[in-house]
Amino acid sequence: MKPTALPDWPERSRELAALLARSALGDRTAFARLYDRTSGHLFAVVLRVQRDRALAEDLLQEVYVSVWRAAAGFDAARAQPLTWLTSIARNRAIDSLRRQQTQPQLLSTTRADDADDADAPDHVAQAVAEEPGPLELLDRASDARQLTQCMNGLSATQRQSLALAFYDGLSHAEVADHLRQPLGTVKSWLRRALQSLRQCLDQATARDVAAAGN
Amino acid sequence: MDYARPALADALAQQYAAGTLRGGARRRYEALLPGHPLLREALQAWQLRLMPLTGVLAPQAPPARLWQGIERRLWPSAAAAPQAGWQRLALWRGVSALASVAALGLALLLVLPGPAQPPVVVVLQGTGGAARAADGFVASVSADGRALVTRPLLPVSLEADRVLELWSVPPEGAPRSLGLIAADGATVIDRRRLPARLLKGGTAALAVSVEPPGGSPTGVPTGPVIYAGKLQL
Repeated sequence: MKPTALPDWPERSRELAALLARSALGDRTAFARLYDRTSGHLFAVVLRVQRDRALAEDLLQEVYVSVWRAAAGFDAARAQPLTWLTSIARNRAIDSLRRQQTQPQLLSTTRADDADDADAPDHVAQAVAEEPGPLELLDRASDARQLTQCMNGLSATQRQSLALAFYDGLSHAEVADHLRQPLGTVKSWLRRALQSLRQCLDQATARDVAAAGN
Repeated sequence: MDYARPALADALAQQYAAGTLRGGARRRYEALLPGHPLLREALQAWQLRLMPLTGVLAPQAPPARLWQGIERRLWPSAAAAPQAGWQRLALWRGVSALASVAALGLALLLVLPGPAQPPVVVVLQGTGGAARAADGFVASVSADGRALVTRPLLPVSLEADRVLELWSVPPEGAPRSLGLIAADGATVIDRRRLPARLLKGGTAALAVSVEPPGGSPTGVPTGPVIYAGKLQL
C-alpha cells in the first residue's frame, strides 16, 4: 500500500494542542501521551536527516526535553502543534550535521543531464529502494490536497533539488555535487522552487479561507 | 544587515526551513531569532508550508529506553515509580520559594474584613515565558470557595491586542474558563463562574493564559499559559 501524506495533520493538531497545553502546566501524564502520539513521526524526521542511529536517539531526547521546557511558549492560535514539533526535530537534526564530516548516505543516484528540460522524467534509482528516495517522498507528499497542484507547478529539476535538500538534509553544495551542476544553478533552482511553492500554497490557503467565509 | 527587511527575513526563513542555510549563517540566524519577531513570523510561515512534507515519512518507533532517558533528564529526583499527573508537578517545586511573596499578597487581600476562616491563597508563578520568571499572580479564594480575587504581583505587560484569561484546571479533563482578569490590578471573579467544588477537589490548579480580545474563542486555552499555581489545601 502506498502511504500518503497525513491527511489528518490538522485534526491531530487539535488533540496535540490540548496535550501541549497540559504539558505547559507541568502535567507529566499529558507529556507522556504527547510523546506516545508524536515520537514515531519525529524519530522518522530526525533519522531521515541524521543517519547515525545513536546520534539520532540522542537528538530525539534533546528534542523532547526542549519541548517540555518550551511548551508554555507554544501559541496554539498562531502555530500548529505538529508543525511546531516537527520543526524543532528537523532543525536539531540539521544542526547536528554541521560538525559532521561524513557525507550523508544517498539512496537515490539521480543525474541531472537533462537539467534544463522541465518535461524530463525523474530518474530515481529504485534498485536500492529499501526505503523511498527523496523524490519518491516528494511525490507521495503531493498526495496531500493542496500540495498536489503546487508540486505539479515545479519543473523536474526543481523537484529534484527540493527533495534532496528537504528530505536528505543536503546543503546547496551537496545538492550541486549530487546533481553534478554548478552551485549557482542549484541555488537558483531551489530558490525558484520554494518561491513558486509558496505562491501556490498561499493562493490555495486564501481560496480555502474565502470558501470558509461563504 | 537590516533584519527588519521583509524580503531578507523571508529569504532567510525559506532557506532555514528548507534546511539549506548552513554553517555560520545558520548559527547567526538561530542566535538572532529570539530578538526579532519579524524573523520568527517569516520562519513560522515557511515551516507551516514545508513541514507537512514530512507527513509521508513512515513512523519509526524509538526504543523504550529513549523515553526513560527523557524522564531521567527532566525529573532526575523523581523515583522510578510512576507519578500521578498533578500530584508532583515540577512546576510547583518553586512555590515554597515564593511563600514570602504569597504572605505579602495575603496581607493585601486581608485588609478587607473577611470571614473568620482565612482565605486560601494560590501563587501563580511564571511558567518560563520571556522575562516573567520573577513576577506572578496571587489568587485568593474565600474559605467557603464562593469568592475569588486575582491580583498581579507586578503589572503584566501585554501586546496591545491580547488579554489574560483565568482557568480552573480539574484533576482530569479540560481546563474551564473563569473569565478574563486584569493585567494591572485586582479582579473579582464573577461567582457564578466558580466551580461548585472549587476547594473540594474540583480544581487542582489555576492557570493564566494569553488570549485574543474577548478571551479564548475555543473554550480551552489557545495562547501560551504564562502563570500557573497548584491549589494547596
